[in-house]
Amino acid sequence: MEKVGIVGYYQVKLYSDANYGRYEMIFEAVRGAIDMAGLKKKDISTVISCTNDYYDGRTISNCFTVEVGGGYMTDESKVEMDGAHAVLYGLMRILSGNHKLALVWGGSMASCFPYHSTRLFETDPTWERPLAYVNDITSAGFQMRSYMEKYGVSAEEIASVAVKNRKNAARNPLALAEAQNVNINVKEVLASDIYADPVTELMVAQPCDGVAAILLAPERLALKITDKPVWITGVGFSQEPYYLGDRNLYESKSMELAGKTAFESAGIKDPKREIDVAELFESYAHEELILAEALGLAEKGKGANINSEINGDISINPSGGATSGNPPCATGLIRVIEAARQLRGEANGYQVNNAKKAVASGQIGMCAQNNILFVLEGGN
Amino acid sequence: MGRQVAIASAGFSEHASKRSDVNMAELVSEAVEDCLKNAPGVGLEDIDAFVNGNMPAFEGSNIPELWMTDWMGARNKPLLRVTTGGTTGGTVAIAGYYTVASGIPKVDTVLAIAFEQQSQGDTSVGLASVAYGEISVLNTLGIPYDQLSRLLSAGAAIGVASYQATNYMNKTKITEEDLARVVVQNRHNAAKTWWTHLKMPNLTIEEVLDTPYISYPLRYGMVCPASDGACAMLFTTEEKAKDMCEIPVYVNGVASVANESAVLGYDGSGTGQIDPSDQIGAMKSSDLAYYQAGISFPRKEIDYAEVYSPFPNQELMWVEKLGLFEETTAPKMYETGVTALKGELPVNCSGGVNSTNAIGASAMERPAEAALQIMGKADNQVPKTVHTSIGHGWGGSLNLCTLMVMSDQPKRKWR
Repeated sequence: MEKVGIVGYYQVKLYSDANYGRYEMIFEAVRGAIDMAGLKKKDISTVISCTNDYYDGRTISNCFTVEVGGGYMTDESKVEMDGAHAVLYGLMRILSGNHKLALVWGGSMASCFPYHSTRLFETDPTWERPLAYVNDITSAGFQMRSYMEKYGVSAEEIASVAVKNRKNAARNPLALAEAQNVNINVKEVLASDIYADPVTELMVAQPCDGVAAILLAPERLALKITDKPVWITGVGFSQEPYYLGDRNLYESKSMELAGKTAFESAGIKDPKREIDVAELFESYAHEELILAEALGLAEKGKGANINSEINGDISINPSGGATSGNPPCATGLIRVIEAARQLRGEANGYQVNNAKKAVASGQIGMCAQNNILFVLEGGN
Repeated sequence: MGRQVAIASAGFSEHASKRSDVNMAELVSEAVEDCLKNAPGVGLEDIDAFVNGNMPAFEGSNIPELWMTDWMGARNKPLLRVTTGGTTGGTVAIAGYYTVASGIPKVDTVLAIAFEQQSQGDTSVGLASVAYGEISVLNTLGIPYDQLSRLLSAGAAIGVASYQATNYMNKTKITEEDLARVVVQNRHNAAKTWWTHLKMPNLTIEEVLDTPYISYPLRYGMVCPASDGACAMLFTTEEKAKDMCEIPVYVNGVASVANESAVLGYDGSGTGQIDPSDQIGAMKSSDLAYYQAGISFPRKEIDYAEVYSPFPNQELMWVEKLGLFEETTAPKMYETGVTALKGELPVNCSGGVNSTNAIGASAMERPAEAALQIMGKADNQVPKTVHTSIGHGWGGSLNLCTLMVMSDQPKRKWR
């Protein structure tokens, strides 16, 4: 795969209940990304947005974001998955040679809709939805229990992931204020309200309001636009079967397949040694371990044993990950932005020393049914 | 950078107003099977990735691909979902094109699927929410509900379409009879295609004009039905396509240029000041797609067109806006038979959206049928040889547009 450059990005500050509108938020993010690259709206040849009609509460919500999202009179389209999948589509449009500059934005306002009720509409309409016993929260409970039982991991070890991410979030100025906590400890995480046993409230990446945008350009053009481009050198994505009984919840087959393709295309042989930063979309604390293991960053069942703090064995989610704020349709996009920030050395307060190669992931579905992984590299 | 993309096959499910014999996943599975049947030697194991889409709000399922995984054969394979309202099908086809064209790792063959089972939900309620935001704004401005029907923002699709129709009729000075003529041609064509919904081989203009108005100037007999159905297209590389089918159809140009939203806006969306029959977005899309395909004289170089027209006035408008005919001359072309099956430039020989409208799938059925005409495999095959054809889609609040240009020759290298 030819490499594609990230030449600009912007993420709005995440709020649990933002006191400004969706359209203003989209405009701020899009404007910010274009300004960072020092370009104008007319330079953009294609726009990919990422929203969800259910989350926006209206059919074809994307036809009203054409103007604020920079889509007026440009070749535009919409991805209805995670923001990271929208980055993939933007990447594909650049790689096709049809377009010179792709703007990708995604986001929503979770304060305007009941997130978990809406997620229920993703379940099997015949057997699962009427009873609502299987949903995004209960399935996470099954997944965490399955992981703990299979590998003998304790709830404390998983809670410590949430502790690490919430402490990291405190150093990230754009993170959700509710997620930032320097003094948090494992006991507090385990004592918080139960979502679906053994998952507790503080292990959950809470949905919030936010929009992020990113600008992609082909190699030659990226070098002209910026002195510090970040390159996307590999990508892979995959979807698992839906029914929980068809899957081994303690591992992530889709992330394994996505990782394999992405690492192969980026020429990475030993991810554990070569990757400096991993920004993973973990909807729940235990998913960070499962996803890291699927990528070979840790041995199966040993995810909790590696030091994943900032400047540890491998820095996982130095920004706080999805725990630092989970605006639906933007979270995966924010992971890509955070990885780019690290590679540019601009993550003030949570910078990983000498970061050269990073991975960023996105997901949708119950128990991360569909995963996507990007490999990013810094330097010219 | 980039590589040539070809269509190796296309397939449909049977369309009807209520496909209560199948659920949504089974409906999709029908289209997938038909698509693979049309490409002998290709199995699910040959498909490297999937691209999907429908109108999420209509059936009450968000991202149904998640639970439909196994019905499509997408287990442990890459899957991307793209949706853009009425243009969803076209958007999915375009995304299928880009997935192959980009050469992303380990992906050569892509199955693109678009579907809709409207009988499982209420489309009008779904579409009303397109207008709803504006209604609430109008209320705050002091405009009461009983007056809302006079404004274009109410009434979902037909509300905006009738406004568009009167604008177009005013420009071209045509009558309702001209609209009915388009409908009759479409319904006759639909009768000759196996998967279509409204098959009316003996429909007359008088019969159409004898039906009541839904919203002036559009009568009950002129508007599209609400259908259940699915469509699938197989995109692959130039090399692989040669093994998969006899006549590969090359995708040489794609575009989806967005205009500002045509309904009265708030919070950053449209100004409500534009004429919805102007369609600058469609004109820009055709400019871009024809440029990519190296087409300089669309009327001379394009042999067949499938345009997205739930309402007959739109069919007349699109063929003009897409550069196939001069402005205001389209009604004449329908009168003189230029656009008929045996005409110089046949349009919508599948019966078009006017005869079958499974919304999410409709905009993909256009390029799919246009591709089949090049392959010579369409049910209602035009007698002349089709070298170049176009498939068009329309959606959003009259502001989104998709266009795919296909040919039996790969893209000219000298571009």
